[in-house]
Amino acid sequence: MSSYIMVIAVLLPMIGGALIPLLPFSKRNMMAVYIEIIVLITSALTFMLIFNRPVDAFVLFRFTGQLSISFRLDAAGSVFATILAFMWPLATLYSFEYMKHEGHEKIFFAFYTITYGITLGISMAEDIVTLYFFYEMLTLVTVPLVLHTLSREAVLATRTYLYYSLGGAAFAFIGMIFILIYGNSSNFTPGGVMDLSRMGDNTNLLLLIYVICFCGFSVKAAMCPFSGWLPKAGVAPTPVTALLHAVAVVKAGAFATMRITYFSFGTELLRGTWAQYLLLALAIFTIVFGCSRALKETHFKRRLAWSTVSNLSYILFGVLLMSPLGLAGALTHMLSHALMKITAFFCAGAVIYKTGRNYIHQLDGFGKKMPKIMVIYTISALALMGVPGLCGFTSKWYLAKAAVATMNPIGYIGVAAILVSALLTAIYMLTVTVRVFFPGKDFDYESISDVEDPNWVMILPLVIFVIVMFVVGLHPQFMTDAVSSVVAASF
Amino acid sequence: MAFVQNFPFISILMSLFAGPISSVLNKKWAKRLNIFVIVFVGIMSASVLGFVLGTGQEYIYVMGHFAAPWGNEIRIGILEAAMALFFCVVMFLCVIGGVLEREREIEETKHNLYYIMVNLLLCSLLALIYTNDIFTAYVFVEINTISACGLIMIRQSGRTIEASMRYMIMSLLGSGLFLLGICFLYSLTGHLLMSNIKEQVALLQAAGEYHIPLLTAICLMSVGLAIKSALYPFHTWLPDAYGYSTLSSAAILSSLVSKGYIFLLIKIFYRVIGFDIIRESKVINVLFVFGIAGMIMGSVNAIRENSIQRMIAYSSVAQIGYIYMGFGLGTTAGIIASVYHILSHAATKSLLFMAASGISDASAKSKNFFDLTGAGYRNRLAGVAFTVGSLSMVGFPMFSGFISKILFAQAAWGNRNKILIAVVALAISTILNAVYFLKTVIRIYTPEKEEIVINKGFQDVTISEQPSKSVAMICLVALNLFLGLFSEPVVMLIERGLEMFA
Amino acid sequence: MSHEKLENSLDEKKLKKLHCIVAAVLLILVLSALYAVWSGEGSLTLFYIMDNIPIYFHVDALARVFVTVTSIVWLLAGFYAFIYMGHEGNEKRFFFFYILVYVVLIALELSGNLVTLYFFYELMTLTSMPLVLHNGSREAIMAALKYLFYSMCGAYCALFGIYFLYQYCDTLTFRAGGTLNMTLVSGNETILLISVLMMLIGFGAKAGMFPLHSWLTSAHPVAPAPASAVLSSIIVKGGVLAIIRSVYYIVGVDFIRGSFVQTAWIILTLLTVFMGSMLAYREKVFKKRLAYSTVSQVSYILFGLAMLTPEGFVGGVLHVICHAFIKCALFLAAGSFIFHTGRTRVDEYAGIGKHMNITLWCYTIASLALIGIPPMSGFISKWYLAQGALQSQTGIFRFLGPAVLLLSALLTAGYLLPVTIKGFLPGKDFIPETGEGKESECRKERLDIMNAALIILAWFSILFGVLPNPLISYVSEIAYRLFQGGIR
Repeated sequence: MSSYIMVIAVLLPMIGGALIPLLPFSKRNMMAVYIEIIVLITSALTFMLIFNRPVDAFVLFRFTGQLSISFRLDAAGSVFATILAFMWPLATLYSFEYMKHEGHEKIFFAFYTITYGITLGISMAEDIVTLYFFYEMLTLVTVPLVLHTLSREAVLATRTYLYYSLGGAAFAFIGMIFILIYGNSSNFTPGGVMDLSRMGDNTNLLLLIYVICFCGFSVKAAMCPFSGWLPKAGVAPTPVTALLHAVAVVKAGAFATMRITYFSFGTELLRGTWAQYLLLALAIFTIVFGCSRALKETHFKRRLAWSTVSNLSYILFGVLLMSPLGLAGALTHMLSHALMKITAFFCAGAVIYKTGRNYIHQLDGFGKKMPKIMVIYTISALALMGVPGLCGFTSKWYLAKAAVATMNPIGYIGVAAILVSALLTAIYMLTVTVRVFFPGKDFDYESISDVEDPNWVMILPLVIFVIVMFVVGLHPQFMTDAVSSVVAASF
Repeated sequence: MAFVQNFPFISILMSLFAGPISSVLNKKWAKRLNIFVIVFVGIMSASVLGFVLGTGQEYIYVMGHFAAPWGNEIRIGILEAAMALFFCVVMFLCVIGGVLEREREIEETKHNLYYIMVNLLLCSLLALIYTNDIFTAYVFVEINTISACGLIMIRQSGRTIEASMRYMIMSLLGSGLFLLGICFLYSLTGHLLMSNIKEQVALLQAAGEYHIPLLTAICLMSVGLAIKSALYPFHTWLPDAYGYSTLSSAAILSSLVSKGYIFLLIKIFYRVIGFDIIRESKVINVLFVFGIAGMIMGSVNAIRENSIQRMIAYSSVAQIGYIYMGFGLGTTAGIIASVYHILSHAATKSLLFMAASGISDASAKSKNFFDLTGAGYRNRLAGVAFTVGSLSMVGFPMFSGFISKILFAQAAWGNRNKILIAVVALAISTILNAVYFLKTVIRIYTPEKEEIVINKGFQDVTISEQPSKSVAMICLVALNLFLGLFSEPVVMLIERGLEMFA
Repeated sequence: MSHEKLENSLDEKKLKKLHCIVAAVLLILVLSALYAVWSGEGSLTLFYIMDNIPIYFHVDALARVFVTVTSIVWLLAGFYAFIYMGHEGNEKRFFFFYILVYVVLIALELSGNLVTLYFFYELMTLTSMPLVLHNGSREAIMAALKYLFYSMCGAYCALFGIYFLYQYCDTLTFRAGGTLNMTLVSGNETILLISVLMMLIGFGAKAGMFPLHSWLTSAHPVAPAPASAVLSSIIVKGGVLAIIRSVYYIVGVDFIRGSFVQTAWIILTLLTVFMGSMLAYREKVFKKRLAYSTVSQVSYILFGLAMLTPEGFVGGVLHVICHAFIKCALFLAAGSFIFHTGRTRVDEYAGIGKHMNITLWCYTIASLALIGIPPMSGFISKWYLAQGALQSQTGIFRFLGPAVLLLSALLTAGYLLPVTIKGFLPGKDFIPETGEGKESECRKERLDIMNAALIILAWFSILFGVLPNPLISYVSEIAYRLFQGGIR
């Protein structure tokens, strides 16, 4: 496969998206078809690239000798690209239906599609500069999506999002500079690029920079002191909260931390240092913290958002274990959390779309009226809890396996934290299930007589996600094989 | 001697004489003359740059062919020529961009006065760039001060008079200190030509004599120029001066005037004292500290501002802090970064001033932050331009600010003690920049309610209504993108220029 | 409310059809399960859920015992439910989950490795929850949630242990004597012991062991009687089975014998035994009292297992069997009382023997068995439990344990027998309540499916007491193999 196809895959949705507001569509359906075609072509290209990875890099542009925008799809990147390429067409399909009641569709879909290209850019970035470039772009193009409703709440949320993200990027920037300075090259290389001879007595400084850089990137992955933006950003339309704030954007943050840990700084340098322990402690804290906040939250989407905070830190925890197993766990959880959370969010979105209800206590008895959505929601809840047979169990198993294998007390604490969080997850997810299916014996179904399942456009993506969840949970062989080959290629 | 070599001298003289000539012309012709001078000087600077690049050698031009110490020398290298060219470009854009505002805000009879000031300012800037004589430099510093005062004051409101008084006082204090420094140097070395002074200073340093007087001289000159270029905490004159003056004045002042002084300071560091001595003198540590303080405090003040123009003015304080921080690193890389930031900031800040005025045009001329809601839709070009300027300030890749941020951070590596402070300060300052600039961007893209738009009389502004401002904005955006995307030749230019300095 | 038409109940014809289908399905399932386990040792690998961990079923003697007991109880309680559920309504949902839980339970009992066990353990929790909240009242829903979250908490504690065992074991497939890889373990004993303790506490949650027991007394009483009967007699044994499997078949008794884990385990069980009995003694709501009794009795089993001796193991397994039949009988009796009189408190049952003599007799037999009066089944199992304790090397607990068991047996008598006594001998000043339209009370009860089921169960509890030998030898065989395998 030629390497320039990567550029096409990245640029096609960006250009195609940018054209949406300019093209005169006679009908709404025309626009939908146009967007879906662009997205599908991009996904097809991406899958072609993943299964037939080009060997060479492609340099799109050079800022200076050292700084360039260049693409190369390696094993780890293709995991992230797989998630994106699989989910984007389905999420877009869902959005066509959902966005009917939100308005400003042209602008929305323009940025939504552009974001696809940019996240693909992150997955295919060859070096830290390209990653940083797309990372910043990502912040920028998702701002209009969060701002979409233009309510006061949305403006405040957007501001918060922007400050957090750009602040994170500013700190990530420091890390980038140090990689440029101390590294043999800025490219992502398995095992890291740090030139140990150049470091001298500066190891501690470098570790500090690593911590700063990791924190910077983990802002998007909503690690604890930096997690405030994510629940607030829940004011955005559901396709945004579901695809971007549960999958694309936040996983981009997690993916970036993976990149700098395994491919830039290198685990050799970091393993067993205070930097690792400090960050592990933060991630572990977030795992529990996110869940307990979710427990307190009564707003449906915000609850899911807090759950995302917690689950993202599972991934960070895996990343920070700095072992092949840890990376495998992180990648597995990245895949499976993407599936579970997008499903849960889409269910919440379907409820909002159909009834406009946002709070959990308003959902009593919905199980009877929108059974499909609620059953799917319950399955995603079970998966999130880590019930065997669904994908969440598999990924947690790998994470725990990696943590136990470290033979390190902080790893053990991590295992405990994951389980505590699983329990809390059970509580905050299943209370909803119980409420919708068992509203109590005196419940008056007349009061929700107008509630019904949405049409197939919304259900279809969900059903596909559920099937994949089961497949991954019951027969994870193909996924674990893929992940272990990725891990083998990354060490 | 090639004819081109006369160009710098001619351009200084041309702009110097264009001033008095403007006083007898009417408004229209004065403007035309001014623009002609700027363009012509720009073309000449470009050809000089081409010449110097071709020979790869700096040359010294002796005015009237009288040898030193009686004659007056100017020295032309790559960096000087490039700076002259760049200043002309920015000044041209600033002058044409502010036509409408000048029409509105300046008294009818005083227009030619304005062009006198602009011409003199250009003259003094060119002289500051080219001169090889430290006393000439002082003279033109004063000319610069006076013409800058004129530019501020020309919009005759109480605010600007107060601002220009303040500016005057602070500036004179600065020039006084600068003059004292020159006196010290003169009495130590007996020379006023830069190259001669440098030889003597090197001898003194080698002999280990007059250590403290030399240090004093360095301090006096640095502080003097720091005051004039509004380094925190000597910045108090700046917000008013930039915030209330007319658009082209504000743009010129912020992007050029203070940069002229900074460039002079670089020259003094390299060509008068010698960079090694400067590095040993610890003065740079002081500059470093104040630079960092400026980076943070300027932004903090900007966050608190409600007027968009004053906010941008305060942001200048922060940006000047960046430049001094670059000095403070005490490495050539630091100076390169600073020079690059001079360029990048000039391009960005004038763009921001233009865009801000465009935005406020669409909000019934109000500069109040709260009236700007939805202005990005009413004046689309200004909205885009403001967004570009803001992103550049925040250091977004593709725009010039990103490159200067990278250069600063990489330069910091040269100084092990300061690296952490420098990069963290950069990060914090970036966040603070993001806070106030992007807050504004979000505001101008949040639609305003229909009835408020009608009540307050907000009107849409199209490109054709303000052709010159639009052209200026587009050019500045292009300049910004150029600096952000094709920085390598520029950085190379600066590097070679600085090599010639030493 | 007992016979009024409920919102979700079906009409007569449909109900009959439902009953036929349920009975058929249940019978087929039970027969096939019994056939599967008694037709010989066999194993089945479904598919790989993890790299080297399949969903794997294996029939061994222990599974055989559990499956048989489960099937019998399930069948009887199921038939009982045909009538009983008439006054609860929503039969469709009830029977759906009732059958589902049975399938899951059988799978749990047949599972051949720890992950399969965990898989079905979680499913058991999830599928049995709807049985608890069946009546849909707020109390029931809260109790169901409590049940769910306590069970989940326990499951996750256990999972913590599984994660560690996976690291330190050769395989997670059950093998008599354990599969620990001692070379890997050396140096990491402490964390492994901690994780085993976590497992005990976690699986113990289902068995109502001390720190995580309080769901049991909320959830069992609110469920419909057949559901509480199977919950109390069978589902809690799921926890017991999980503990047996993980301790005796994965970790191995040698590893924990004499460690702090064993001590902690014994203390927890004894505490639970005593506390359960005390609370049952104080409790006035009948079904709640029985639930507390379950808490106490299941910890008898766990105590026996905690001794880590063959006799203790035999006692534990025997008590699993006895307690299953007895507790089922007791709860079904309680259900009949409620079904016929609508009364729930113990002090309202005075004079009840006058009309419901069959039920009360069955109740009495089961009570005596639970207390451990010699000819009844409880005596045998308690005998072995005490034996196991006395032969163990557990220091002070060798004597303290049996003492607590005895004390608890006394308390058992104290909280179970007053119902019988008051029921048959209400005393002179008892005025039978009449009126309020409760005609059914006035008639003497006839033999129907409900008390037929009860009678069978009562017979079982006598039968094992009178003819315990086949059972004992069968269980001893298991124990013998287990402890032989332990010597490696």
